[in-house]
Order: sequence, then C-alpha cells, then structure tokens
Amino acid sequence: MLSFFDVTVDFDRSHLIFPILVSAVLAVLGAVILATRRAEIGAALAATPRWPAGTDRMRLFGTVVLVIIYFLAMERIGRAIPNRGFGFLFASAPFVLAISLLYMHGLSRRRVIIAVLNAVIAPLVVWFILSSLFNISLP
Amino acid sequence: MTNYISTAIAGLSLAIGVAAALPAAAQDLPSNLRIVIGSTSTGGDTYQNSSIIADALAAELGINIKVDAVGPAEGFKALGRDSSGSTMMIFHDHAYLGELYGVRGFDNIFEDYRVGPTVSINPGNAYAVPKNSPYQSMDDIFQAAADGTRVRVAIQPGGVSEIGFSAMKNAASVLNPGSEANIVAMNTGSQSDKDQLLFDGQADVINASIQSNEQYTQLPADDQKAMRFVWLTAREATIQGANPEGMGAMTRDDMLKYVSPTTSVTLDGSEDFTFDKEFFFIYNKDMDPALVEAIDTGLAAVFDKGDVQNTLKASFFIPNFLPSAEAQAHLSEKRATYEKVISAIGSE
Amino acid sequence: MDLLSDLTPLFFFLTIAGTFVGIIFGAIPGMTATMAVAVCLPLTYSLGLINGMALLLGLYVGGISGGLVPAVLLNIPGTPSSITTTFDGYPMAQRGEGERALKLGIAASLFGGMFSLLILYLFAPALADFAIKFSYVEKFLIIFLALTVMAALSGNMLIGIFSGVLGMLISLIGAYDVSDGGNGEYRLMFPFMEYYLDSGFSLLPVLIGLFGLSAILIEAEQGVPEDSSLSKMEISRSTPFRWTDFGGQFINLFRSASIGTFVGLLPGVGGSAASVLSYSQAKTFSKTPEQFGRGNPSGVIASETANNGLTGGALIPLLSLGIPGDSTTAILIGAFTLQGIQVGPLFIGQNVETWNMMIIAMLVANIAMFVIMFYAIRNICKVVTVPKHLLFPVILMMCVVGSYTINYGIMFDVWTLLIFGLVGYLFHRIGLEVAPFIIGFILGPSAEVYFVKSLESYGNLTIFFTKSWIAVVLWLLIMGSIWLSVFVARKARA
Repeated sequence: MLSFFDVTVDFDRSHLIFPILVSAVLAVLGAVILATRRAEIGAALAATPRWPAGTDRMRLFGTVVLVIIYFLAMERIGRAIPNRGFGFLFASAPFVLAISLLYMHGLSRRRVIIAVLNAVIAPLVVWFILSSLFNISLP
Repeated sequence: MTNYISTAIAGLSLAIGVAAALPAAAQDLPSNLRIVIGSTSTGGDTYQNSSIIADALAAELGINIKVDAVGPAEGFKALGRDSSGSTMMIFHDHAYLGELYGVRGFDNIFEDYRVGPTVSINPGNAYAVPKNSPYQSMDDIFQAAADGTRVRVAIQPGGVSEIGFSAMKNAASVLNPGSEANIVAMNTGSQSDKDQLLFDGQADVINASIQSNEQYTQLPADDQKAMRFVWLTAREATIQGANPEGMGAMTRDDMLKYVSPTTSVTLDGSEDFTFDKEFFFIYNKDMDPALVEAIDTGLAAVFDKGDVQNTLKASFFIPNFLPSAEAQAHLSEKRATYEKVISAIGSE
Repeated sequence: MDLLSDLTPLFFFLTIAGTFVGIIFGAIPGMTATMAVAVCLPLTYSLGLINGMALLLGLYVGGISGGLVPAVLLNIPGTPSSITTTFDGYPMAQRGEGERALKLGIAASLFGGMFSLLILYLFAPALADFAIKFSYVEKFLIIFLALTVMAALSGNMLIGIFSGVLGMLISLIGAYDVSDGGNGEYRLMFPFMEYYLDSGFSLLPVLIGLFGLSAILIEAEQGVPEDSSLSKMEISRSTPFRWTDFGGQFINLFRSASIGTFVGLLPGVGGSAASVLSYSQAKTFSKTPEQFGRGNPSGVIASETANNGLTGGALIPLLSLGIPGDSTTAILIGAFTLQGIQVGPLFIGQNVETWNMMIIAMLVANIAMFVIMFYAIRNICKVVTVPKHLLFPVILMMCVVGSYTINYGIMFDVWTLLIFGLVGYLFHRIGLEVAPFIIGFILGPSAEVYFVKSLESYGNLTIFFTKSWIAVVLWLLIMGSIWLSVFVARKARA
C-alpha cells in the first residue's frame, strides 16, 4: 500500500473528521453557486415584494401559529395528566376544528357541523385505537 | 396575545388536571405507569426483561404499565422531569458505567436519581475468539500481550461492552506491568459489527454474548464464521442459577468452565474480576418514598409467587430480586470496584 | 406430516389480519412496519412461535407495502423507504392516474416480495456467507453509490448536490453515536441545543415535516384553493391500469428486486437505501431518464419492487446468521427469544418446521397484501376527494402522532416536525431541493460511520480501492452512475 495515503485516526477526535469533510464540500459547492448565479441571487434579494403576489398571509401564518399553540397545549395537558394520551386527545380536537375553519371557504351551517364532527371523531378514533387498544404512548 | 394563549392553556390544563388527579391519593401508585428503558431496541434484552417484569407487576398491582424504548439520554430526561412517580426507568449497569466512562448524557445515578430494586441478570456477556485462533484461554491472551503481541479487542465503547475489556487491560497490568498497552480496543457498534470485525480479521477477540454467538461456536473450524468462547464475565453463582440445559449445545456445566475461578481475569492479583449485567429500577430523586416502598412490596409479591422466575429463566435470564435498599448498597459497591479498574488503567 | 398440521385456519387468519393491520400502519404517515411489529410482539407470547411469526411477518409485509398509498396520493411517504415512490407516483396522481400508479406499485410490490422470498428460500445460507464479505469499506461504497443518486434526482445538478450535502451535514448534528462505535462527542451544535439534540434530529419527523407539513404550508400560502390539483385528481378512467404496462419492465423489475434483496441482506445499510439505489439505477439505465420525476411508471415500479424486495432480503442474515438486516427484523429476534429459540447460523437446520412455516407465512402475506390492496384501492383513492379543510387538519394530526410515537414518546420529535416543515417551506421559497436533501440526511450517518471506521481499521486511504474485487465493482458502478447523470444533464440542456 502507498504509505503516502496513510492516515491515523485519533478516536477521541474522530467525531470531527466527517463533519469537517462534509462542511468543506458544502463550502466549495456554495462558493460555486454564488459565483455562477450572483446575478440571480442579487436580484432575488433586492426584489421589493418579499412575499410573492397572492400570498394568503392569514392562512399561512395562521397555520404556523395554530401548530405552535397545538404543540404547547398538548405538552402541557400531557404533563398534567400523564400517560393516558389525554394531551393528544384534548389538544387535537380544537386544533382540527380551528384549522378546518381557517381553511374553509364560505362558512355554512352544514359545513361547520361537518367540521365539528370531524374534529371530535378523528382524534377520538385515533386515540382509542392507539392509546387504548395498542397501548402506544401519546402525549 | 401570547399571554392570553398561555393563560388559556394553563387554565385548561389545570382544570383537566385537577379533575383527573382526584381519584388517586398521593401515596398510591399511578394507575397508568410509564417505564422508560435505556435502550431504543424493542428486540433486545433490556426490553424483554422490562416487559416481563412490567407485565408481572401490572397484574400484581392491578395497574396499567407500558414500556417505552426511548434510549438512555431520553430516558433520563423523561425521568428527571417527572417526580410524580408516573415515570420510572429500568436499565442495567450501563447506567453508571456510562458515567464512569464519561459518556455525554450520563450523570451519577446514585446522586442525581434514586436507585431502585434489581430484578434480573443477563448472564450472557462473553468474550470470543475465532475458532482457529492461537489463543486457547485468557491466560494465552495475557501471555501474548506480555510477549509484545498486539491483541485487538472489538467492543462498543462506553459501557457494558467495554468493562470486560477494561478488566482485561487491568489484569494484564497486574500480571505483567506495561503489557496492558498491547491490549487495544477496536471501537465499533452492535453485535453484528463486532462479529464482522472478527470475520474481516480486524479483531483478535470480540465482546460477544452467549445468546447471539453460541451457534457460531458449533460451526466447523474451517468456516470463516466459527468462534470459540474464552471468557464469560458472570459470577459463578449467577451461571449456577441458570437452567441445567443452558443454551443451545452449551450446558450450564460447559458455561462454568469459562467463568471465575476456572477462567481467571484477575482484579488485583488475589481476587477475580466478574461482571453481571443486572437490570434494575431507577427513580426520580424526589419521588415519594411511599412509592419506592410500594414497588418493593409489589415486586416481592411477584417473586414470591415464582412464575416470573420461570419466565425469565426460559429466556435465559437469571432472576435477581433485591429490594431498593439492598440493591442500592450492592450496585454502589459494584460501581466503586469498576471505578477503580477504570482509573487504574487510566484514559489513553 | 407436521407441516400440514401447522397450516391451521388460525395461521392463515393471523397472517392475513397481520397484513391488513400492517397496511394501515404503513399507510399512515409516520407509522411504520417496525412499530406495527413492536406493538404486536407481546401478543406472540401466547400465540406460540409459528402463529406468532405468522402475525409478525404479515405485519412486516403489510407495513412495508402500505407506505405507497400516501406517497402516491398525498406526496407524503408513509415510510422512509417509499420516498422515491413519491417522485413519480404523485405526478401520476396529479394527472389523474392515481389508481394506475397505485396498482402498478402494488403489483411491483408483489413481484419484489415474491422474488426476494424465492431467493431467501433457495439461497439463504450461501448469501449470508456473501454478506459477511462486506466490511466497512464495501458498505461505505454502497452508501456512496446511493449518494450519487442526489445528482440524478436534482432538477439543477449543482443546487441538488448542494442540498444533498446540506442534508448530510444536518444529519451529523448531535453526538457521534456510541452505539455505532462513535466516541459520543457532540459536534455541530451550540450549548443551548445540547439538551434537545444530543441524539440529533430523528429521521421520521424530519421526513414528514419536509414532505407533509411543508406541503400544507405551501397550500396555505396559496389560500388553500378548493379546486387545486389534489381534488381534481379524482379517479380518472383516462389511463386505466393494464397488466401490459409491465411489458417493457421486465429488466427493471428484476434489477429492482435484486437490489432490494441485496441491500436487505447487508446488515446496517438500511431499508431506505434500497429504494433509493434501485430508483437511481432505473433512471440511469433508462432510455428516457428525463421523464423520471415527472410521472414515469418505471420510477414507481423500481421504488416499490425494491422496498418489498427488502423483506425477504432482510430475513436472510436474520435466519442464517442471527443478525437482523433492518430495524423490523431486529424485533423478530425478540419474538424468537421470547419463545426460547436461538437464531444463529444453525437456526434453519435445527428448526426446519419453523423455517418452512415462515416461508409459507411470507408467501400468504404477499398474496394477501396484493389482494387486499388491489381491490381496496378504488375506495382508498377517494381520500383525495375529501375537502381539504377536513383532510389537512387530520393529516397534520397524524403527522404529530407519527412523530411522537416513532421513538416511543419524545416531545422534541414533534417540534422537529415543525422545524422541518418550516425548512421545507423555506427550501420551496429559495429554490433548494428537498429530495436530495432528505437522501443526504438519511445516508449521512451511515456514510460517516463506514468511512471513519474504514480508516480507523485499515489506516490507509487506498483501502477504498484495493480492499476487494467487490470494491472495484462498486467503484465501476459509482463512476457509471456519475457519468450517466452528467451525460443526462448535458442532454437535457442541449
């Protein structure tokens, strides 16, 4: 074997070898992209409307905010009553309903009733099957 | 807005929490107990022991227990967060060996948590060599190291798999000071990774287990996969607790040839090093002592009935119930011994 | 005869029921075959070994197969190994060929399953001896070969590779895993991340965040129009499924099934690599590689044949070495130990009856999988006609369930889902590519371990070329794969 290619791996520092290698490759690729597409990237950064035309900010940000509240609520409730999957059950129902209402075009009595039923039944079925039947941990 | 939301959430959770918490009085065990284990595998020995014990305990106490294979780091986190007693952990000696070897995510379980009862032992921790290896015994290995031959040992670093290796180095330094430098670790992962290093000729000795490697010892010597045990780390008394038919073609008497005193890996020149992989409970430090008591009593009742012993033995595990107080004393003594071994060979 | 007395109605019932439940687990994003098997493991104790195995093998086959349903209909891979199914399956569904894509996938799954079963039955011990010729070096080259798919999958090669390498880097965050032989040290993170990220981001939440949540965010950005692509793609009869669709696919089927079986039999390489490799090879050897990613049936066939080919393959090292080929078969070891049965090199010889019954169970499970899915598919397809304001929140909820349960109850995995949902949305906005990113993310950790450990064992860089004839063959395949993707990219530009 060619001794020129010999490498000694120090076990205590071996966690850095691959990250450094990958970062280097990434940096080179990034530099090439920057060099070849400078014009495009510059134009994109300078573009005045930050959001593309027709962005539905209410639904986009609404989704993100509701998801965050959902996760926080699930965790809190799950800690208050541990090991029964109640965090999941009690947080999911309002969340499913809220998202349904957010995404619904044209509210009508019938649609809302269906959405409410969906929001109650879906989490209940999932909770029952997983938590009660299969004994799987839910929040 | 965030304030409103968090108030609302807190209110909601409080309301439900109070309602649900009412039926259970403080000193009672929670009706839904979660046992996290220090392994992410649901096919491994930790899961099996935990679920055998959990099932028996749940039936005895009339509560619901589920076992979640979340792994050591997440297991300790979950345990640390919950002092109510609705989360407990079952793990083995890795819990303190990880700390002794300085692995991230491991704290001193005797100080930061509360050690509970031991329940069972996996007696299978072993060391093996290729069947055509020049090393017939541990003595041959120590002699080779003394003669300046490099002996490569495949292990998974930082726990149960490494402690036997540390003991080998320690014994080498007791027998022939300086020769321990010739016993070197090949750090790898699972059992199949260790086997693979042996097949590749990249390791002379591997950490193995009776359960997964016994059949390899029955293969003819010209098979690349054939192995031979050289050492079982268990105590003699532990192996004597197994069923006489042993495992596979290896009877209990066959096993006894590979344990101390017949096979000796010395600790200090007079006593032999032994290691049993014991499974035990770990609790949150602030858990109500009444719950500790309740689990001890429950387990004592389970082991009195005797069925769980048969279930354990059928899967080649050794029943080993010690109530919390005894278990604590026993395990902390064990930890002290291994701490000495590990510090004696130093960190290279 | 013993064999006949074991073939009880209960045996068949358990196999078929297992397959059915497995399909449901596989079809729910985030629920996997592994989880289905883990959940049902305790039941096997009372069922006895043979009936217990029937149930578990049914779950295994069903779980692996069910993943194609959401992959095709919703563009969310039900399991990591069906990622490549989304690449062509979803475009087909968008142009009204959802049913056709699903049926192609199901038939391909059946072929893959049967092929690997045959290999398992005939050649298990011999192939196990072949599998142990693969040391760290050869395994690294296999992963490297799979990584070259990043180039083939990219819309723009440079951006695609950049995204893929970024995925690899993100996958390395956390500790260098001790259980793979690492030193357990942290890298690529700030101290405040250590509490949450000591074991890094976990694959499944990342996957469903990037594919599931981000797709919903992109829809939300556009106001969730009621008549967009999703609801338009009702089960159109324009291009129905025909068996003759498999006309020119014989080589593809054969190659994909072989790749699936082969990857399955290498311990540790992992299931997702099978479909990724098979997909990239199908594309490289295709006469019309530019159609891949735009709804080419060959892509669906390659992906689904390979991930079912995995089933038989992964059982080879399990039953002839006692070493599991993937995470699901690792749990099967538990089922054997529960019954006091050792699995190792002597298993087949000592347990002929169990071995034969396992083969029969696999056979029944594959047929059951095909019958159940093929005839239920028209009804399953109706899921896309459910109004989005009802469907999306339920999908979101299922993504949460999948993320939380995949590692048996870790809340941070749920937050990971959100983080990567936002990352996926950001990628969409700035033009980075999700497919190569996720492939880099999946393969990154194995690439690291195999690369670093090769150097640790052999201490010389040339080992990657000189280790064995297998290494040489793998290099030829790697070169071929790279050369062809460059060639295809040139051709597409011209």
